[in-house]
Amino acid sequence: MTEMFATMYGQNEAQGPPGSSLGFGPGKPPLPPNQVPMAAQMPPQLVDEGPALRKPGAMNEPFYLLRELPVGNELTGNTNLITHYSLEHAYNKFCGKKVKEKLSNFLPELPGMIDCPGAQDGSSLRSLIEKPPVCGNSFSPLTGASLTGFRLHTGPLPEQYRLMHIQPPKKKSKHKHKHHRPQDPIPQETPSDSDPKKKKKKRDDDPDRKKKKKDKKKKKNRHSPDHPGLAGSQPNSSSLR
Amino acid sequence: MAEKFDNLEEHLEKFVENIRQMGIIVSDFQPSSQTGLNQKLNFMITGLQDIEKCRQQLHEVNVPLEAFEYIDQGRNPQLYTKECLERALAKNEQVKGKIDTMTKFKSLLISELGKAFPEEMAKYKAIHGDDPPS
Repeated sequence: MTEMFATMYGQNEAQGPPGSSLGFGPGKPPLPPNQVPMAAQMPPQLVDEGPALRKPGAMNEPFYLLRELPVGNELTGNTNLITHYSLEHAYNKFCGKKVKEKLSNFLPELPGMIDCPGAQDGSSLRSLIEKPPVCGNSFSPLTGASLTGFRLHTGPLPEQYRLMHIQPPKKKSKHKHKHHRPQDPIPQETPSDSDPKKKKKKRDDDPDRKKKKKDKKKKKNRHSPDHPGLAGSQPNSSSLR
Repeated sequence: MAEKFDNLEEHLEKFVENIRQMGIIVSDFQPSSQTGLNQKLNFMITGLQDIEKCRQQLHEVNVPLEAFEYIDQGRNPQLYTKECLERALAKNEQVKGKIDTMTKFKSLLISELGKAFPEEMAKYKAIHGDDPPS
């Protein structure tokens, strides 16, 4: 083992410190004087100049490794990509309001308890992908002979198989509230007509009551020592004081 | 495209409704309901055939596996869409911030280099031309 390490270490020593070949070391080891860099040995056509390097004429200038500037009209994160792909409606739909957490809110018409994790009863979609059911290529209708296998015993189903009919609890109070609301503006012909009349009567009575109250107040004010004499013409001023 | 989904949705709804009715028949089975059950069974097979036909129309539709995970956990898959959109917007804003900062840095660097190395920067501008407005 030690010999192996020694040989490996020796090889590494000869090649230079590890990592320097990747360019992350303190610096590239200087090439021996008789060696020429690979790029210089290769014909100019085969040298990889990187993406869009400057023309040789321009490279004679004091700059090297000068590249073309990126094209301005390229689609980048500088633009609002949601607007660019016309997804504002989807964004407002999903992010503007609170999306309900449960699956039954997404599929309200689906019977059964669908909010439970699918791994519990082996009904997960992932298991369907990982272990697809072994079945034929086509669905053929059942004939008389094959239907005999579906002759059932009379009577109710055992408890453990009744899960399908259990529905997630729904908030009844909210539904009731909703059902009553649309009926509210309708009842013009219903017996509840008396209610608005009562309200109207009250409203009709209101001015009379106000007049009576005003009269009482006037009488009281006339008798009170603080009465300025013009309170009847300027009720607001008296109330402000 | 929407018509194809509507077609599939319609078939799936019919299929689910048929299964639900079968569940009711089976939950308290009576001998007289055997004929009805047989009909429902064959209707279920017809429903499966209809769904199978829809598969050809929706061959190009790709559904992300993460959406399936949401469904398996009993969560609303619209939450996945919501999170994707929010993540996309956040990343978009991050990248825009980086681009804006780099643009500012570039213009500042060019102006400062112009002060320190006026001749070289004149040559640089001769090669690259004036920078596009940021």
